[in-house]
Amino acid sequence: MTYTRKDVSTLTAAERRRFVTAMLEVKRRGEYDEFVRMHIEYYTADGEDGLRAGHMTPSFLPWHRRFLLELERALRRIDDSVTVPYWDWTRDRATTAVPWTNDLLGGNGRRSDQQVTTGPFAYAEGNWTIEESVTDGRFLTRDLGRARRPIELPTWREVQWALDDGVYDAAPWDSTATEGFRNKLEGWGTGRGSASWRNHNRVHRWVGGAMLGGASVNDPVFWLHHAFVDLQWTRWQRLHPGAPYLPEHPPGLGDLQRGRIVARHEKLPPWDVTPQSLEDVGRIYRYA
Amino acid sequence: MGFDVGASAVGTERTTAKSARSGSRGGTRREVLRGLLAPAFAVALAPVVAASRPPRPTDGGADGPFDETYRGRRIQGVPVPGARAVDPDRWRVTVDGHPLHLMRRADGSWLSVVDHYGSYPTPLAAARAAVDALGPHQQLREHGIGHGTAPATGHGRHHHTGGEYDVHA
Repeated sequence: MTYTRKDVSTLTAAERRRFVTAMLEVKRRGEYDEFVRMHIEYYTADGEDGLRAGHMTPSFLPWHRRFLLELERALRRIDDSVTVPYWDWTRDRATTAVPWTNDLLGGNGRRSDQQVTTGPFAYAEGNWTIEESVTDGRFLTRDLGRARRPIELPTWREVQWALDDGVYDAAPWDSTATEGFRNKLEGWGTGRGSASWRNHNRVHRWVGGAMLGGASVNDPVFWLHHAFVDLQWTRWQRLHPGAPYLPEHPPGLGDLQRGRIVARHEKLPPWDVTPQSLEDVGRIYRYA
Repeated sequence: MGFDVGASAVGTERTTAKSARSGSRGGTRREVLRGLLAPAFAVALAPVVAASRPPRPTDGGADGPFDETYRGRRIQGVPVPGARAVDPDRWRVTVDGHPLHLMRRADGSWLSVVDHYGSYPTPLAAARAAVDALGPHQQLREHGIGHGTAPATGHGRHHHTGGEYDVHA
């Protein structure tokens, strides 16, 4: 049965409550920290040796699509009315708007130590202790908008710039690709500093705290952000009918990317699925 | 006390694709994670290594060692002796003595474990950005990922099969 992922700003009070309750239960069962570890494990940078499944790579989108499906499955085992909502950061841009409300993800971190002290994921509530992290804090951290040197969320125009590119991805298939929808959406821009942080990457930076690091999954907004990123893939497919995931075939002998990226019909670790099999998820879920 | 430098450093060093191709094959992310039980040793080791190197400018030239206080944090970085005299692609960087894991981008820039969604031209710039990202009171975790009770070797449990979703059209 196809289910619907909704804009988080449209959830009813009951839907918000059920989503939060299911998230806390996934955490309580110990399943959530598995997701945190998995995301850390599959972050291989493109200046390193080895296969890149999750980032700086064509399979950025299918890898995170499958990752969201896994979390959603865990949530729906607890409450089958729950789906992962998406956060449209081109519209809900205020640090006090959804999803930063006390009945959803809670608010900004406090100035002294970036600790989130409001909402159901606040440390003091006792239900969201950080186990897998790169820092010693046991509490969730945020620095919405980056107080010390403020930055803005990406605009709809920037998303549209990515959507307008009719080619899924292009050589060299990494963070330096200047053409292709994938990297324009993942957001590895050229140059240094603020101008180089685009779309997906820029949102991680705007949220800050845990979301900026390798353990970004610790912030539940990770899923709402990636649901919106995933929605862009479906929009891109509608805008460019028939345009496939690329590359279609693995890089050839002598290509520096050989063995380091996942072609359309190759297995996408750690799952036994291919990018091609994840291109059409219309029978599993749709976006409202 | 004898520290096994090679084993202890695995949590804080990276071997880039470039150096891997030159023969000194380094750890994959998974291998690095498996090494995270050990890097408590690296915490003690890093200052020793820094002190043993010849005095060099510490203002953070593109490739030079650095040792400075930035926003109240001591950040230190040294290229790690490799197969060659000094392999510029291997660095040991610490923040207040705690190892900071760096990774390399294809354009030669650097990103750290606390700032994964942008990159910086030098290890020093990446270390300063890590201090910015850490916030006022947080330290890097001694054991890197996790608290040692559930080391990253638990990843074996993650090899799901794909049968749950039939997503073909």
